[in-house]
Amino acid sequence: MSIEVSLYTEALGETLYMTLAATFMVFILGLILGSVLYMTHENGLAPNRITYAILSTITTTFRSIPFLILLVLLIPFTRVLLQTILGPSAALPALTIGGTPFYARIVELALLEKGKYLKETGFAFGAKLHQVMTRILIPESLPALVRGITVTGVTIAGYTSIAGAIGAGGLGNLAYLYGYARNRQDVTIIATILMVLFILLMQYGGEKLTKKLSHK
Amino acid sequence: MIKLRGISKRFTTKNDVEHALFGVDMDVEENTIHGVIGPSGAGKSTLIRIINQLEAHDEGTLDIMEYKDVRQANKESTRMLRTKIGMIFQSFNLLENKTVYRNVLFPITLFRTPTKNDRAYALELLQTVGLSDYMNRYPAELSGGQRQRVGIARSLINRPKILLCDEPTSALDQSSVKQILSLLKKIQQEQSLTIVFVSHDMHVIKELCDTVTILDKGEAVEKGTINDILLRPKSEATKLLTETVGYNIDKILTDYHIDHTLYLLRFNQKAKENPLISKLSETYHVHMNILYANVTPTHEGVLLIDILGENKDMVLKDLHEKGVEVTHVN
Repeated sequence: MSIEVSLYTEALGETLYMTLAATFMVFILGLILGSVLYMTHENGLAPNRITYAILSTITTTFRSIPFLILLVLLIPFTRVLLQTILGPSAALPALTIGGTPFYARIVELALLEKGKYLKETGFAFGAKLHQVMTRILIPESLPALVRGITVTGVTIAGYTSIAGAIGAGGLGNLAYLYGYARNRQDVTIIATILMVLFILLMQYGGEKLTKKLSHK
Repeated sequence: MIKLRGISKRFTTKNDVEHALFGVDMDVEENTIHGVIGPSGAGKSTLIRIINQLEAHDEGTLDIMEYKDVRQANKESTRMLRTKIGMIFQSFNLLENKTVYRNVLFPITLFRTPTKNDRAYALELLQTVGLSDYMNRYPAELSGGQRQRVGIARSLINRPKILLCDEPTSALDQSSVKQILSLLKKIQQEQSLTIVFVSHDMHVIKELCDTVTILDKGEAVEKGTINDILLRPKSEATKLLTETVGYNIDKILTDYHIDHTLYLLRFNQKAKENPLISKLSETYHVHMNILYANVTPTHEGVLLIDILGENKDMVLKDLHEKGVEVTHVN
């Protein structure tokens, strides 16, 4: 056991940072993209076939690119944006772009589900279009939106370890550098345990919050 | 109060154009309950949604109160009109994440921060619908009937003149249906509301409505008072509907294979008080065969009889003098 504890804590810290920062970005961007997808959907608030087709195609395209390939594809973009392609922050653009389409679809579906009945209910009481969105559909979808961001966060945590393999740091990087490259099985196991604990905690927190917000 | 003239509506789907409504005329008088009934796909939901412009019609004019030709109105004036028209729905459409009290107050919050008066009125409405004890519950904790009562309270918070009801009892069990109907009747009288009630169920319409429009395949095939519709249906669609509540005289005639004239008697309140039939039978030495009897929604007695004997004409004359309306049927 020649590896210092600080290596683990540092790696865990990096994983937490990457996951939470990217999940936060994905929450904001996914909410916006998902809302626009919903609005322009044929059953949405302001149907627009062409806008929807374009956004939907982009969303599906980015969702279908495997994350490792997305990472590599985004290297030039990341270099321009952050002047580096190493370290946890350098992973954020790829993590955000990988997670946003995934969450946007969850948002779109949640809004469509609530909108089916509540859209016209809002209008029937004289709500303006933006009020239907902000006062009815989003508050009513909140439990689904929180549940969705939890699932997305877990996926993003998984992505961080792939990013780790190409130099982003974090637990994935640790497991790769020591466990794989130097044949230290024990490091791999401890890194795995830490990762699993982190994800369990995130899942638990998400479920708790969903339950608190939901009145079903 | 509400006047529709030549209202048409088409829906364009990917492959073709579907007609939902063809030149529908309809009049709803102030302070009455008007039913819209027809089989599914007849265009009932579309029609009621045109009244508050959740759907815009393609042709025709719609006047509501002082609002003339509302399709031409700007967005803001349509919004104002909507606050004067309450609406309740088949699936209740309550906000699941808000308490019963917040649901009732919700339409107000779209326009202003609720005042003390608004909050007091919300409580008053909850009392009217019998849910004062449930004000801090969430909709998921309530039964279907209770949820619809929240829907009714919510629809009244803006003190509307008109209430639109889109199949509000279709998702409810029998006893809840009764409660909701009597609640609507009570509220209609207390607040002098004008109600438009859409249903596919003649039992419900018969129970509640003063006047009726029958829709079939997008056309208004018949309209009139509930009694006229029940007793003298003209169109095939109407006959099918009245049959479901046991009012299809034509069908009764066919079933009995009667080849001579029968008499349909309609007793008003006063005529109901005397044992007319047995007295007449005694006085004029005739036999009367009762083929059908019913009470209309407005509590008029209806009797279909066959008169056997010499003094038939005198019986009819006497009935007429006693205030019984006699119609010859054959």
